[in-house]
Amino acid sequence: MERFYIKTKMDKFLYGVKKGFPIVFGYIPMGIGYSAIAIKAGLNPFETVGMSIFVYAGAGQIMAVSMLAQGATIINIVLTSFVINFRYFIMNTVVFNKVTESNTKLNILSSHFVVDECFALFSLMEESSIWTYLGVSVIPYLSWVLGAAIGVFVLNLLPVIVTNSFNISLYALFVAILIPNLKKSKTITITVIITGILNFILQYFLSNWSLIVATIIGAIIGTYIVDDKDLNLEVEKELLNKKKRGEDIYE
Amino acid sequence: MNNILILIILCAIVTFIPRLIPAIFVNKLDFGPKSTKFLNLLPYTALTALICPGVLTVDTQIWYVGLVGAIVAGTLSWKKVPLGAIVIITVIALIIFYTIIDILHII
Repeated sequence: MERFYIKTKMDKFLYGVKKGFPIVFGYIPMGIGYSAIAIKAGLNPFETVGMSIFVYAGAGQIMAVSMLAQGATIINIVLTSFVINFRYFIMNTVVFNKVTESNTKLNILSSHFVVDECFALFSLMEESSIWTYLGVSVIPYLSWVLGAAIGVFVLNLLPVIVTNSFNISLYALFVAILIPNLKKSKTITITVIITGILNFILQYFLSNWSLIVATIIGAIIGTYIVDDKDLNLEVEKELLNKKKRGEDIYE
Repeated sequence: MNNILILIILCAIVTFIPRLIPAIFVNKLDFGPKSTKFLNLLPYTALTALICPGVLTVDTQIWYVGLVGAIVAGTLSWKKVPLGAIVIITVIALIIFYTIIDILHII
């Protein structure tokens, strides 16, 4: 493969855009699927697109509007969103530990754009410039918002069978992200099965709260049974070690 | 202000703050190996808790529609089909599935 020689900020940004582009094909249908559920839950078109702009959390948003449709309280939905979206904390910790050519202003500007897919892409990439990260991360953001906007306009024109079928797109993406990891690791598979069964049982006792409880208990059980090497912790460990070594030098 | 607007604002705040903190304090955050592992496992368990049993409510009348979709997506993913293609093919598969159900219903 011919090696692309990266020089200017623009080159770095465009390199990121190129790397992040395949995410568009997942995020636009998923955005349309989200719109379908949001409109059913009673959001108007502005609220539907606004939520995608200001919250920007794929699974978290779908869950929030689904819970709303099921009549959950606001406090319950907000707390669940907090727990489900808290993973962005660790993702950004990894991203901003890796990022180069950045400063606090640029960090803050790009902090809103982290999602599972661009995190995975960037953390495994050789290039580490903030401009590349912005390229990788802004593409999913725009396609998620665009998907929601398309959904708002198109949903009324589409037959019910098609809009019903869009509801599966997010679950298809969840399954598609999960399966390759399960294929790699038996211990993660066991954790996932335990979590699934746990949530299935807990929902009868805790209804909407079961999602948070099962997620946390599942992850706690996982820390005891999952092999470190199955978790792709190497990249993060190395980055943290690098950071630590860097700090040692200055101490 | 209506409830939905309040909900969106609160969700935006609780989602943005965890994203923002590492951007400002990146050099001051340090996790032990156990906490790092726990935080790394959250995406898997959260995805699982979202799928199971949520996928069965994709269609509120016919529960197995979601199951069919999940099986199609899972199989494609197992065969290493790209992410975007999995989503598109799964949606098309469900459109076909609904059409078949409709035809059987008419017969």
